[in-house]
Amino acid sequence: MGACLAAAAALAARAQLPAEPLSAEQLASQASPHWIWVNDINFFSMPDGQAFLVDGDSGRMLGMLSTGYSFNSLILPKSSDVIYSPESYYSRGTRGTRTDVITLYDTKHLQPLSEIVIPPKRSSNMPMSAAAALTDDERFLVVYNFTPAQSVSIVDVRARKFMGEIDTAGCALVYPTGPRTFFSVCGDGAMLLVTLGEDGKLANRVRSPVLFDAMRDPLTEKAVRVGDTWYFASFQGTVYPIHATARGVELAAKWPLVSADEQAQGWRSGGLQHLAVHRPSGRLFAIMHRGGLETHKDPGTDVWVYDLTTRKRVQQISTKHKSGSIAVSQDDKPLLFTCFIESNVLDIYDAISGRYLRSVESLGQTPTVMVTP
Amino acid sequence: MNRIDAMVESVARDMARRVSRRRLLGSLGALLFGAATLPLLPVARGAPAGTPAGGTAADPGDPKTCEYWRHCAIDGFLCSCCGGSIHSCPPGTEPSAITWVGTCHNPGDGRDYIVSYNDCCGKASCGRCLCNRNENDKPLYMPFAANDYNWCAGSQVGIAYNCSTSRIVGVSK
Amino acid sequence: MRRRLRRAILALAAVAPAGALAAADPQANYMLHCMGCHVADGSGSPGRVPSVRQSLPVLSASAAGRRFLVQVPGAAQSPLSDLELAQVLSWMIRNLSDWRVSSDFRDFSAEEVARYRKTPLVDVRGTRAQLLAAPAGRN
Repeated sequence: MGACLAAAAALAARAQLPAEPLSAEQLASQASPHWIWVNDINFFSMPDGQAFLVDGDSGRMLGMLSTGYSFNSLILPKSSDVIYSPESYYSRGTRGTRTDVITLYDTKHLQPLSEIVIPPKRSSNMPMSAAAALTDDERFLVVYNFTPAQSVSIVDVRARKFMGEIDTAGCALVYPTGPRTFFSVCGDGAMLLVTLGEDGKLANRVRSPVLFDAMRDPLTEKAVRVGDTWYFASFQGTVYPIHATARGVELAAKWPLVSADEQAQGWRSGGLQHLAVHRPSGRLFAIMHRGGLETHKDPGTDVWVYDLTTRKRVQQISTKHKSGSIAVSQDDKPLLFTCFIESNVLDIYDAISGRYLRSVESLGQTPTVMVTP
Repeated sequence: MNRIDAMVESVARDMARRVSRRRLLGSLGALLFGAATLPLLPVARGAPAGTPAGGTAADPGDPKTCEYWRHCAIDGFLCSCCGGSIHSCPPGTEPSAITWVGTCHNPGDGRDYIVSYNDCCGKASCGRCLCNRNENDKPLYMPFAANDYNWCAGSQVGIAYNCSTSRIVGVSK
Repeated sequence: MRRRLRRAILALAAVAPAGALAAADPQANYMLHCMGCHVADGSGSPGRVPSVRQSLPVLSASAAGRRFLVQVPGAAQSPLSDLELAQVLSWMIRNLSDWRVSSDFRDFSAEEVARYRKTPLVDVRGTRAQLLAAPAGRN
């Protein structure tokens, strides 16, 4: 009896927990290089596209965005505190009037600031980074359209104005090469080089010579960029460095991701976002698996790392789970992020040592492509 | 994602009722192709509409499984699991006439068939029997062979994607 | 006479068993490489893909129009060989046009296709509008 009274008195002696306010968190004004946005098309429920922000160091989810039908990817400019998101909405969810917009979100509160209406022609496809991109001065956002006519919509994101549409018949997607230039890839293996005027209107549009054999060994769309060079990988595993020059684009020397033996064993690169680069160290990362030619989109549990200068493989990383998408942070202690559309787990590794660090569970529904700030 | 079709079947039945066989055969011009989504197909006198596909020596396999031979380059939900069939759309979805067309090998008769992956559009994802195979699939810059597009873009009702058919339209070599 | 015979043969093909069409058959190639967007009868999809049924007979009647038909990226960039493309284009003109093409129309040759195909069009919309607005003529 005495012991119970003493215990009760001891409990009562602790200060009571205070009442709590209610508020919404806000993000730190400076993004960490180890943050990662995981875009999610939500394939089983496509009106509800999403993007998730994760802190790679702690494995904590920091916030998310709701981004509409057939969502592709956020676009993160380096130079400002907004996020651009090309989005599509139907007035009745899956039917009614379609409206396409570029939504501008503020990076601190993750709330919409404004939107710019664009023609309701944005290409709806399996997500890829090249579906929309900023010109190098980050003034114009170029969005690929497919109706099935092929064109791009040009948006002046500083003036917050749709500037016009430019036909890119026979050619797809957007690979920026300069402050006013980008190219699209054409179905015959040439590149369509587009130059915008100061006003965002078409200043020049010309085809390059054919740079690859589109029928025998096509390039995947999932190229990655280091400086002036876009690195494409072909279905058969050859790297095609496409170098932007004053004249347009040039193909630099090609090199293989796999040796003849490895190719004979069926090693190839595959996935939804199967390439990544770490620019400071000049390394290329590729998801690899063994399979036939028809497996060019299949995931793998290997990530092979190449030195872009020597063009030799320098490392092989085994991933914990099947990986269909990879991304690498661009700081000097980089993280490697992997995910797979059929799973909602994000895995995080040390990108230099390849050591597995942590996983983030229950992240979205069908994660697609990732982007670092 | 490639999707399209289903109205074709009902239009075909309608045409068969309204148009005499002689007229149907007599011209390859506007009459036969009068309905925008009616294909002129050598298989027109093949399986009557409503005959289930698969499960025969000439057409082996189960259309509700991803391994079924016609799904060799499909990307999406199988309409056979969604209220449609191998060549028809579920009720209330619009068959998109615009699509991409591939070739699949039929192990039952040894032929390579031309398969049109018409999508059914205007409703949310069916969510059943998801299947993605990529034989002869090409990147987005070769749209005629690209299954990564949501081909509901070519429908009148819009890009809301429900499911995909695998419709035979002819024979390749 | 030849045209009627060809139609009869094609009509027979329409009811022949599926195995009757060979790979080199222009109709099979049309299905594989063109039908996806242009649909079976060339009428396309309103607001999405323009019909070719009225432009084919017009474009086939001039040298510039013939060049356009080869240079439009869907044709120029297709996996078809020059000969196959020549055959598909000729088949389209003879079978998908809303009215009978002129008796002067000569089928495309592989050599002609090869010549034009090297330079796929960049400004498709502008060129098409120009050609369809121009008065009918030889050039």
